[in-house]
Amino acid sequence: MKTLLGLMLCLVALPAAAIDGQQILAKVDRNLEPESYEAYRKLIDIQPDGSKKEYVLYSMKKGRDRVVALFLSPPADKGRVTLRLEDNMWLYMPEVGRPIRITSLQSVTGSIFNNADILRIDYGAEYDVETAEEQKDAFLLSLKAKTGEVAYDRLKMWVDRQLLLPVTIEAYAASGLLLKTLHFRDIKDFGGGIRRPATLETDSPLYKGYKSVMLWSGLKKGTFRDEIFTLNYLPRIQELRK
Amino acid sequence: MKRVRGLRPFWPLVLLVVVACAQAAEEYSFDSSAFEKKPFELGGYAQLKQEDFSFNRGAAFYRLANFDQPQRDRLDRTTATLQLAGKLRQGIGTFDFRTNSDLQRDQLARDHDNTVFEAAYSLRPDPGLTMEAGKRVLRWGKGYAWNPIGFVERTKDPNDPELAREGFAMADADLIFNPGGNLQTVAFTPVLLPVGKDVNGDFGASGHLNPAAKLYLLYRDTDIDLAWQGKGSRPARYGMDFSRNLVSNFEIHGEWARILQFTKPVTDRAGVVTSETGNADSTLLGLRYLTARDTTYIAEYYRNGTGYSAAEADPFYQLVDTAFATGNSALVQKALSLSQGSYGRPNPGQEYVYFRAQQKDALGIVYFQPAITAMMNWQDRSYQLTPELLYTGVKNLDLRLRLFLLHGGASTDFGEKQNSRKLEFYARYYF
Repeated sequence: MKTLLGLMLCLVALPAAAIDGQQILAKVDRNLEPESYEAYRKLIDIQPDGSKKEYVLYSMKKGRDRVVALFLSPPADKGRVTLRLEDNMWLYMPEVGRPIRITSLQSVTGSIFNNADILRIDYGAEYDVETAEEQKDAFLLSLKAKTGEVAYDRLKMWVDRQLLLPVTIEAYAASGLLLKTLHFRDIKDFGGGIRRPATLETDSPLYKGYKSVMLWSGLKKGTFRDEIFTLNYLPRIQELRK
Repeated sequence: MKRVRGLRPFWPLVLLVVVACAQAAEEYSFDSSAFEKKPFELGGYAQLKQEDFSFNRGAAFYRLANFDQPQRDRLDRTTATLQLAGKLRQGIGTFDFRTNSDLQRDQLARDHDNTVFEAAYSLRPDPGLTMEAGKRVLRWGKGYAWNPIGFVERTKDPNDPELAREGFAMADADLIFNPGGNLQTVAFTPVLLPVGKDVNGDFGASGHLNPAAKLYLLYRDTDIDLAWQGKGSRPARYGMDFSRNLVSNFEIHGEWARILQFTKPVTDRAGVVTSETGNADSTLLGLRYLTARDTTYIAEYYRNGTGYSAAEADPFYQLVDTAFATGNSALVQKALSLSQGSYGRPNPGQEYVYFRAQQKDALGIVYFQPAITAMMNWQDRSYQLTPELLYTGVKNLDLRLRLFLLHGGASTDFGEKQNSRKLEFYARYYF
């Protein structure tokens, strides 16, 4: 009887033990975007009085850690390009004519989205899964930054159990301070087997009353040469668009 | 019917919900097809700038600039600027241009200027190879306020380092490789810059096809450039720069350049000019630091190998004093000629320190960025302080207010400049 009870307890405990947070995170990364892709994004910054400022970007990502984003709008920012290679980030402004190094915590748009959000690489490339727990409709992953260079020290990620897509992410500083919350909404079929949230909203206790929204469009798989993700190519990125 | 009438008090609420839903839908709609690449693009900005100069009438450069002119304490200047930038694409080729038109008016004169800053045709047969010909701005170096290795560009204005500048006519190419491993990127940029009677006349001596090149390496997360310019219209020179993030919010950078056999005219107090020839080494060290409160600090130290030490500059200022005290027009002409050369550069000194602090979203106002910039001639301790207010919260509009305060005694760099103060305001509309 005792053996039977032990066996039953083991069976009950098995699903919990079977949760592999790292595997879930890898699935989340691939379900959000193909490893290499191109996409258009609109960033909307909404101020407490309701006024808005909008930016449109064309982005390309290659592999786990190379991203480039070209500003198409507004006119004041048109032609600006941000590049990320692993933890290195640069901003190229056509009027300045040369790239300068920027940091992940800065925001080239001035919005709640910082450069790390705009030039996001795979979560699995930046974070380790510390714990993974099952909740009613979601997996809750607690992520810890692999290095001090990463914009957020810790993330709490709620992942839809069925779709294996993030629903909510809370981003924390090393001090434990909540920096921002990201809400993924509006699951959309982009074609090519890509089905993911088309809207990402963020708010921050540090910017009370402000909200930023990121909308996705034209997301598709792509293949890109390594030379594109270099400082010398930044002035010509806009020539690559179809 | 009764039920409908009963609902009447809620109609405004229903209408509000419908309108709110419609607004929400509008808020979050995005169709990228409107942003597809077009064969022709045109953009730019229109700017209106108002400047109020307060002159230092005892300063050497005021006296030289206003020699034989009515004397005044102040001058108001209005400048309208139109800058156009465009692209024309066909296949693997692109023609792009940037033009600048200024219309200027003050109490003394009216002036206008139309300049083509850039106009070049580029071919990209492969992402690893680009070839260009035309007028182009190539900005080399990592320094914010100064660039000792900016060998093939017009000198940067440290008061407005991010301002677009006029390029030089040249042919250049870009070859990019990604070897992998610790050497993440290698890029080679060869340049040919002709100087003739009607081409690039202000680059140097006419009749030369000046070769130059830059080799860029991204090695172990550090940007490194090796730059060279061969002997021709200017003396030969070479140098290097680097930039690296020590931690994500702390960047350091540096530049070093050597000009071979550089000739520097040096005057004595009597106006006797001798030429000193030798290698001139220029060095720049800088940092950029971003705090958790979004304050950015930029600090740079610049040793200008082609500049004048305080001891070398002093006889020039004494020459100006003597020329105007005696009324000797030959001496005035001599001083005037020197002031239009290397003594009259924006930063003619040998050692400078630059500091800038800017605060993003200050006072809780998003898109409001106050800043303060200080520039000091380290040897004579004269300096310039520039508080600044920038607001970019109105769509496509930048508003900037700056006050330049110059301070220094007699025979000092900033103490002998034409202005003691300048107030500047501009509104720039992008389209």
